[in-house]
Amino acid sequence: MRAMAASSARFLPAAFGLFCLLCGVAIVEGMLRAGLLNRFIVPLPTEVIDSFGRLFGDEQLLARFLTTVQETFYAMAILAVIGIPVGTLLYQVPVLRKATETWISALASAPIVLMYPLFLVIFGRSPATIIVMGVIAGLPPLILKTIEGLSGTRQSLINVGRSFRLTRVQMLTKIMLPAALPTIFVGLRLALIFALINIVGVEFLINFGGLGQLINDLAERYDMPGMYATIVFVILVSVLFFFVTERLERWLRRMS
Amino acid sequence: MNQTPQSTAPMAGQLPHVLSADNVTKKFDTAEGPLVAVDNISFDVRPGEFLSVIGPSGCGKSTLFNIIGGLTPDHDGTITVDGEVVRGPHPSIGMVFQEESTFPWRTVIDNVCFPLEIANVPKAERLDKARHFINLVGLSGFENRHPSELSGGMRQRVAIARTLVSQPKILLMDEPFAALDEQTRLLLGDKVLQIQQELKQTTLLITHNITEAVQLSDRILVMTYRPGKLKRIVDIDLPRPRTSDVVSSPAFGAYVAKIWGDLREEASRGMAESERAR
Amino acid sequence: MASTDVVKGMARARRSGISVMQVRIVLLVVLLAGWEIMARSGLLYRDVVPPLETIGWALIKLLSSQAFYWNLAVTVAEVLAALAIGGSIGFMTGVLLGGSRFFGRALEPYIYYLGPTPKIIFFPIMIMWFGVGPGSKIAMGAVSCFFPIALSAAAGMRQIEAVLIRVGRSFRASQWQMAMKIYLPAMRPAVMNGIRLGLGIAIIGTLLAETKLSNRGIGYLIMQAYSVFDMPRMYALLITLFAFAIGANAIVGRFGGPAKRQ
Repeated sequence: MRAMAASSARFLPAAFGLFCLLCGVAIVEGMLRAGLLNRFIVPLPTEVIDSFGRLFGDEQLLARFLTTVQETFYAMAILAVIGIPVGTLLYQVPVLRKATETWISALASAPIVLMYPLFLVIFGRSPATIIVMGVIAGLPPLILKTIEGLSGTRQSLINVGRSFRLTRVQMLTKIMLPAALPTIFVGLRLALIFALINIVGVEFLINFGGLGQLINDLAERYDMPGMYATIVFVILVSVLFFFVTERLERWLRRMS
Repeated sequence: MNQTPQSTAPMAGQLPHVLSADNVTKKFDTAEGPLVAVDNISFDVRPGEFLSVIGPSGCGKSTLFNIIGGLTPDHDGTITVDGEVVRGPHPSIGMVFQEESTFPWRTVIDNVCFPLEIANVPKAERLDKARHFINLVGLSGFENRHPSELSGGMRQRVAIARTLVSQPKILLMDEPFAALDEQTRLLLGDKVLQIQQELKQTTLLITHNITEAVQLSDRILVMTYRPGKLKRIVDIDLPRPRTSDVVSSPAFGAYVAKIWGDLREEASRGMAESERAR
Repeated sequence: MASTDVVKGMARARRSGISVMQVRIVLLVVLLAGWEIMARSGLLYRDVVPPLETIGWALIKLLSSQAFYWNLAVTVAEVLAALAIGGSIGFMTGVLLGGSRFFGRALEPYIYYLGPTPKIIFFPIMIMWFGVGPGSKIAMGAVSCFFPIALSAAAGMRQIEAVLIRVGRSFRASQWQMAMKIYLPAMRPAVMNGIRLGLGIAIIGTLLAETKLSNRGIGYLIMQAYSVFDMPRMYALLITLFAFAIGANAIVGRFGGPAKRQ
């Protein structure tokens, strides 16, 4: 009985939220049809939904999406190869860590994405610019979370390692890194979110690559329904990434 | 000390009761069906007396506290203060809560000024009164500290001063020392006794601690475990003025034993029920 | 090992006399020297990595030009307007979501999951709604900072300890007094943190929009420097921009001093 009450307490608000969303869309549709909103600025929601078929066909939305995914994948690979070792090094050398940790967190909150014109000069309008921007955005959180994870290793685990007389390297690979894995995963997830935001953003800004460029193209062609539909698509993809990695993170936490 | 702002205190004998509870009942709807937290409780508080309500955990003491304070609506029966029925927080009742309740963003003196700000008392008068009560609870010199810089016992004294500054006819306290260690609790009990005797403050204390209740009270109401009924009223005939030294007297021990005899049965019933629920 | 390592490291540092400050200075010197060597060696084109001296002169030239300050004022005004609009809407939304369990459960997931999405892709829509002028930049900044401020205000509202509200009621505070003397001060640390986060991404949103399409503001100056390949000027602009962002962050951080409880 209690379980039922609890599930209805969850279900009802969620249903209401969805209802609000659908109502909002319906109101926009109604106002457009009644001429209260300008159709040149806001397309009909039904047209936006209809345009998805056209986008997957003529505009190769899927290929665009895969381009963005590929760029993100490369950025993540580079991030993991640089970020985790740098974090480990800073953890191993406390003086270096103390000297740089505040710098790194300042960098994390600085508007680094505005350096994109700089890389535009160096690499031109190419995937390299986009990938580098993704890497730069994700690096600070990944380094900080790696340090945090390693410093949070339980003393009892470390004592176990010492009782087996592990070497420094064994200690790191057999005990500290596995213990720090959930926190490092949080860092990877943050890095992925920041990298994805910047990659799509830079694609749009420099008009090159995957989904971001498609939005720019459609805007320049004044294809309103197509542009809105692509934006909705990008939002859905981001939310999906965010949601799935969040679940994965929770699962990892429960395992350890 | 004669012209302390305590002239509003009721004169003993002028009114028979400052506060009366008549057939107070409160039911809650839970997943397992209705729960009677407070069952048909009636009692009176005499002017100037220190009355304690004692009962095992989960007997509805805190519910009773909230009803008297006017924070829990929809109860049966009535609470009357000076002939007025309580239908919401009443100006004659000052509440001190069990939880940490000082405002962390205000200094000690600003915390104590709070009720006077709410009542739009002019600033100079506010500060005067606040200083007087800070002094009374023994926190002079800490006026400009923030609660985070004080110990738990000191913070609870700030909360007491904040309530006293509004000069309530009845000081209503819900386990104000529950979060403190035993020594601090005894010393703070001394402080409360001293203040209560100095102000002749009518006080109603809710507690589950027997020594605390016997140390401080003129009368003790013993409550039963679910439903929370009134089991017995015990008069405490220990000499006044009292200090915490009283805890070592044989009479004190006899009272504690007597109340423990009453409570034991209720407490073990409570324990058994909560274990069964697990 | 964690603690012994730190101790050993500190001991080693003390023996050889290395302090954190010294490490920082060494790192900075190495960084700058490396830069300078790269610039002088001609491995990369000189234009991309100009010598420090050139950047220094460009910075001085930039800071002594009147046009720079005019454009800075435009950007600052846009960011402040964005923060005021996005922040106040975000705050009110947060209070609604935090104050009602039902609304919180119904609508907060949308804000929570929409928060970490790329906002700049809304820029074409903002141009159509608010024109090519400052309006669309302000809208971009406002959309960006709405999310963290709404989420922080909702969390701040939920974190208020119930007993503090009961204290206010027991002293018979009016609705207005409750809001001004209890709700707002209790929420302040969380809300200030939200504003700090919001300001950071409002700066990003506004400036990215300026680099995409505008004829004034710091973002416009950066793109202008890019279009004529004036790299020293671009570095000077980025340096001032970072100083501006870090300074703004520090100012808000100072106002958000903690009202802590141990």
